Amino acid sequence: MRHIYFARAALALALGIALSPAARADETALKSEIDALRAEVAALQASVRQMQAGQTPAPVTAPPATAATPPSAAAPAVSTPAIAAAPPIANDDALTGTTLWGYGELNYNRPTGDAGATQADLRRAVIGFGHSFDESTRVYGEFEWEHAVASADDQGETEVEQLFVEHSLAANYGVRAGLMLIPLGLLNEHHEPANYYGVERNFVETAIIPTTWREGGVAMYGTTDSGFSWSAGVGTGPDLGKWDPASDEGRESPLGSIHQELQLAKAHDLSGFGALNWQGIPGLLVGGGVFAGKIGQDTPDFPADAAQLVLTEAHVRWQPGPFDLSALYTRGTISDTQALNLTYLGQPTPVPKAFWGGYAQGAWRAVEWGRSSLVPFVRYEEFNTGAEYAQQPPGLGTAALPTERVWTAGANYYLNPNVVFKVDYQHFNYDDEALGYGNRFDLGLGYQF
Amino acid sequence: MLAVQAGGKNLDVAGIRAVPSLRYLNFDLPFFFQKDGTPTGGFNRDGRANDLIEQARRPFLAAHEMANADAASVTDKLSRAEYADAFRQVFGVNVFADVETAFLAALFSVASFESSARELHPFTSKFDLFLRGRLVLSMPELRGLALFNRPDKGNCAGCHPSTRQSDGSPPVFTDYTYDALGVPRNPEIPANADPAYFDLGLCGPDRTDLADRRDLCGQFKVPTLRNVATRQVWFHNGYFRSLKDALHFYVERDTHPERWYPLDATGVPDKFDDLPEPLRRNVNTQEPPYDRGPGQAPRLNDSEIDDVIAFLNTLTDGYDAATGTADPARDVALP
Repeated sequence: MRHIYFARAALALALGIALSPAARADETALKSEIDALRAEVAALQASVRQMQAGQTPAPVTAPPATAATPPSAAAPAVSTPAIAAAPPIANDDALTGTTLWGYGELNYNRPTGDAGATQADLRRAVIGFGHSFDESTRVYGEFEWEHAVASADDQGETEVEQLFVEHSLAANYGVRAGLMLIPLGLLNEHHEPANYYGVERNFVETAIIPTTWREGGVAMYGTTDSGFSWSAGVGTGPDLGKWDPASDEGRESPLGSIHQELQLAKAHDLSGFGALNWQGIPGLLVGGGVFAGKIGQDTPDFPADAAQLVLTEAHVRWQPGPFDLSALYTRGTISDTQALNLTYLGQPTPVPKAFWGGYAQGAWRAVEWGRSSLVPFVRYEEFNTGAEYAQQPPGLGTAALPTERVWTAGANYYLNPNVVFKVDYQHFNYDDEALGYGNRFDLGLGYQF
Repeated sequence: MLAVQAGGKNLDVAGIRAVPSLRYLNFDLPFFFQKDGTPTGGFNRDGRANDLIEQARRPFLAAHEMANADAASVTDKLSRAEYADAFRQVFGVNVFADVETAFLAALFSVASFESSARELHPFTSKFDLFLRGRLVLSMPELRGLALFNRPDKGNCAGCHPSTRQSDGSPPVFTDYTYDALGVPRNPEIPANADPAYFDLGLCGPDRTDLADRRDLCGQFKVPTLRNVATRQVWFHNGYFRSLKDALHFYVERDTHPERWYPLDATGVPDKFDDLPEPLRRNVNTQEPPYDRGPGQAPRLNDSEIDDVIAFLNTLTDGYDAATGTADPARDVALP
């Protein structure tokens, strides 16, 4: 039941922050936002001047810092500046333009108890693009290579992480369709390495919320003057038929092992998702979301065809002055797994009925030298990918997995706001070699543009 | 019941291996080595045929099977059979003009039957109904399934996967790999009268292309376990006459070797006696249930073995829910 205390603690923190009158935005973040806006205004002025002179106006392609931007290309929610405020313009057509962006990260992990398992990896290299067809319609794409080499004989992967068309219906709302990031958590839509602390993405938002989680579908999004941003949509969901009870993948990340990534995805059962965030006080973000759907995908003779997934999440982030504090709690349930798990008796990885995780994190911009800064941080996580299993006949049930608890302490050194060197140490409550749990020392390099 | 069947014109030429089942053979793959070197796929117990057509060729000609002198002998008989006209209708009026063409047509016919005949891969066992959520197994059967799957107990699913495949199709209960189990030498096989003779599976004597791969000697193909309870003899050399004995051997081979192997003059069991001494190291002794030694408890006790047998009985095709009986010869409509 510790997760309930965790949820209460996260809620208390959220309320405490929401009620705090002294909330102040991080100055650096504000500065960068102002820089971005300034560049945007300059571009607009140039357009107006050109129009007045009867010339073809230059496109305005700087992404606005709202939920209407493509998630990955959006101004990061953390205390790092937005992406280049005035991207190069590569198209002469009226009100059109194309931008390129990207990020990458290289990691080094040295388990303290098993130095022989030390590993260095080009974790990912990503290229993205945005193209404006006109003032209201855009397309965004993100292409990724993982683990340096992808071929039939290698372990790397090549994947399309996002590919969607977005159309503004009005100044403060619009619609997008395609392969989109699910708007849950703090990381999934902002997974670039300069946007999070620590060499590795946190466990809660990889094991429970399977960052980078994307589905194909249609969504509405928008903002309000009172500081709310929202999105809601329908799309594909996971396929429980992909569950492999003999492998460790389902214990590593229940949803990560069955999401379909729009690869010939079974799409009979659509899922719905929604998220609501409030940023009414500068420096404060409070929000949450839900993803729900049937995940049996109408598979013939599948004993869990009726299975329903519900994943809920709540988060809060407060950035007073040089501090960056955040907390997140998420919990997922999968119904109607009893008959399916019966066929998996004795297998190491049955389908969980419940899984959850939460973390609290504090970071401090301790030192700044011009555009460089050093940000030490500490994070505490608890998560359980098999917190509960459907009841089985006496003697044949599966025991819940132990809850893993991880402390991570380290620092991000920003050479500039978009290039980051990272170092941290992670301490695990218990080891599991198959899942990569074990105390370790990590080094990382990341960039984004 | 003979451990190995006799063949030849007078049914007096002994075979060297127990007859494998033809059921579910259509799902097998051509022989290949996985990236980690694991031999996989292939037909016959040593995988030397790459497809059903190649596999069908041997029984027509082998001395201890149909013992035809050559392909011409087969096609000559075929051309005089009462169904020869039907054969001509399918393959052409001149099909018998060329021996190889006619022989290939015959092999193709056999392979086509094995691929298409539903009775050879019906998926109509009690376990199939259970996988579809149509019924629940009894407690002994469920316990047996759990023991079959558990990596620390039977670990049977390690080679005989019991879960749906990634494409959603039901399990065939083999991963098409090979293993050296150290099954005791069977004195009932006449060839074994020669102490210098050994059936080494992947590296001979029937298969010749891997003769130099001494590390593979003693490995035989993992068979499907569907309908396993209906067999009369078990393992490649038919040494075991009951499923219960076969299961006891799995878990007691290493804890009580004296029960399975002949004792030498000093009373020490001659473990893995069906392999030459230098090749006995090829036998799988690492994974459960083989990872035990004398004095240790077997991975499965007697009542657990009974549960596993109860489960294995659910793999028999032709299950009739009304009577609770199964018979592979019974043609049960798919529910």
